Amino acid sequence: MDLLPPTLRSAAPESLHPALWRAHQLARPRTAVLGSGFAALDAELPGGGWPRQTLSELLLPHPGVGEMRLLAPALAGIAAAGSSIMLFDPPAPLCAWALAQMGVDAQSLIVVHGRDGAQGARHLLPSADLLWALEQALKSGQVGAVLAWLPARLRADALRRLQLAAQAHDGPAFLLRDIDVRLKPSPAPLRLALHSAGIDTLSVRVLKRRGPALAQPLHLALTPVLSPVLRARAEATRTLAQARHGVLPRQAAPSFD
Amino acid sequence: MLWIALYPPALSLQAFAATLGTAQHALPLALLDAQRIRAVNRVAWQLGVKPGLKRATAQALAPQLLFGQADAARDAQALRALAHAALAFTPSVTLDGAGARGNAALPFSLTPSGGGPRAARPWGHAQALPCVLLEVQASLRYFGGFPALLQRLQAAPAPLGLRVRMASAPTALGAALLARWRAGFEQGAHSRELPALQRQLDAAPLALLDAARAQAEALTGMGLHTLGDLRRLPRDGLARRCGEALLDELDRARGDRADPREWLTPAPTFKARLELFERTDSTAPLLQAAAVLLARLVAWAGAQHARIGGFVLAMRHEGRHRSEAPASEQTELTIALAEASNDAKHLQTLLHERLERLVLPAPTLELRLRCDQLVHRAAPNGELFPTPASAQEGLLRLIERLQARLGSQRVCRPLRVQDHRPERATAWQPALEAVSRSAAAGAGDVLTRPVWLLSDAQALGERASHPLLDGRPLQLLAGPERIETGWWDGAPAARDYFIAQAHDSALVWIYRARLPLSSAAGEGWFLQGRFG
Repeated sequence: MDLLPPTLRSAAPESLHPALWRAHQLARPRTAVLGSGFAALDAELPGGGWPRQTLSELLLPHPGVGEMRLLAPALAGIAAAGSSIMLFDPPAPLCAWALAQMGVDAQSLIVVHGRDGAQGARHLLPSADLLWALEQALKSGQVGAVLAWLPARLRADALRRLQLAAQAHDGPAFLLRDIDVRLKPSPAPLRLALHSAGIDTLSVRVLKRRGPALAQPLHLALTPVLSPVLRARAEATRTLAQARHGVLPRQAAPSFD
Repeated sequence: MLWIALYPPALSLQAFAATLGTAQHALPLALLDAQRIRAVNRVAWQLGVKPGLKRATAQALAPQLLFGQADAARDAQALRALAHAALAFTPSVTLDGAGARGNAALPFSLTPSGGGPRAARPWGHAQALPCVLLEVQASLRYFGGFPALLQRLQAAPAPLGLRVRMASAPTALGAALLARWRAGFEQGAHSRELPALQRQLDAAPLALLDAARAQAEALTGMGLHTLGDLRRLPRDGLARRCGEALLDELDRARGDRADPREWLTPAPTFKARLELFERTDSTAPLLQAAAVLLARLVAWAGAQHARIGGFVLAMRHEGRHRSEAPASEQTELTIALAEASNDAKHLQTLLHERLERLVLPAPTLELRLRCDQLVHRAAPNGELFPTPASAQEGLLRLIERLQARLGSQRVCRPLRVQDHRPERATAWQPALEAVSRSAAAGAGDVLTRPVWLLSDAQALGERASHPLLDGRPLQLLAGPERIETGWWDGAPAARDYFIAQAHDSALVWIYRARLPLSSAAGEGWFLQGRFG
């Protein structure tokens, strides 16, 4: 410490170098981040948004818990800026109208299927072609955002390769994988576990980030599918049923109003 | 007038080397013509193999010597590629020497450069080795002066696998003679003024002149060795003894007589073929050979100041049986480019991706490259800093590479279509096709359609007329939304859609097929999509 100039002796480590931070603080990424559109989530992400130039893993029990609605605000911004979004091996065909309702123009989307042609089926092993294509897209640096649905069984070196390739990619890169891999190590600096937590609500548990561990999952309100009236009624029915039986009741189809 | 001559001294040998694999380049090579060695490479030369030896003698000297057959057509193709490369610098390009009249069947010869007429006698054909002549007076300013132009010209033949010797002179024949004269002549071979050229030519050996080679013995017998000796003789006597041709050639070289030339124009369709030295099963040698053809293709496109929009590579295979005609099996690979390009490296990458996943039915003997898709627009500007346009081009290149490997149907864009049936409301088109207009849509407060639509609706179990997903009952939250009819395209629908909540509280979109229209799909509950 004696060798340091006096101005630095008392300085906090985080003011010395951007790569330093204290264990109770969040890291500050070197590049600007991309706001996720959810203030509660931004507050817990290092830098205040989705990181660029690295991989971010989203782990979900099955497709359709609200992952697209979670990413939609960020993707809409990228699409509006004229960049394109590449989707690798999505689990099911996309509905262009739903994307438009979330503000993402279908014109900016490019969907790439591996040679196996995963149409809805969850396949176990990644196709070499798909990993190659993903790496090319990341390396090219011309894609605004990359979303890839990768199978659970993925070699660790494949992930590391992707993480290296992502350094040339000036935008967020999301890997969507099965929740079962949460115990396996991953080179991605950000890992989130997503669960559905009620109607139009997503629970986000931060598994890994550059910063302190987060005990409580975040609850985010997604773009609603149900109108407020219907939602209130559904919640009322559920509370009532739980109070009465403790199980889900047999229930008549509600009428359309 | 300022002429530059590009003279490839080892044209035949280098054209032959292009058909070899990398491993064979380090071997001693020799070209055979009628059982005699015509040209050798440096390794073979060091082993003592010299042009003029018989095949058996050469083999005794160097057992590992690799023999190739001289092929005039192959040489002519390589020469034409060199001329195409030259056409990028000036429109005035012509050929000199053997093959200059477009006759590919003319025998090429290799005169040992600098050797006397006697040594050259057995190999000295009536015509000199070919070289490419460029008239560059009008191009000097554009390329930034003579030294800059020379530098560019020096680099131009490298991708074609050729090495050239250059000379410049105020007359066409003078430049050709200087270039052929001797190697290691970088300084002296360039004379911009006529008197300087004439002085240089006076010291040049007689063997350089076509007409003199034909009567070399007689001329040496008379004690004539250089062009200067010839010039000092009385003209009418010389014309009577040796013919007008000799004087005519001398005068044209010295600039005393006009030397009209016919300019070369590139063919409208590019066709090149390369016979491989060894039949090959693997991709790497194929790619390497194709790289030579691609370099020639790029030179051809460069000659017309155009870019390549696509090309066809045909691979001729070895017949399975001896009786089969050799051309019976052929694989054609068509490569179409989204953005026309003149970048040999990019073309090679595309070809590499395609060749990698191609299964060839039999070993390949020969490659043919054909191209008639040229784009005559001005090339897009290069950018120092990334701009939207350059990013767009980078994206196009990326998509092109992905499509080259995966197939165009696997890289696609979604398209909104006005249709009330959800499975038909999204269309898919290959990502590089012209963008069709998507139906307009506005962002809403409430999502009415799920992001994930199953292409085939999944039948759900039912308990007490209640739908089950994964064995757990679904709670219906909203609906029904009735979607009906489609009689006009044979896919009628009659469904009542509900938004339901699964046991883990994720939302799904399900429907109940209504009788009797949907009898084909069965009746009951179906899972259509998930609100992702």
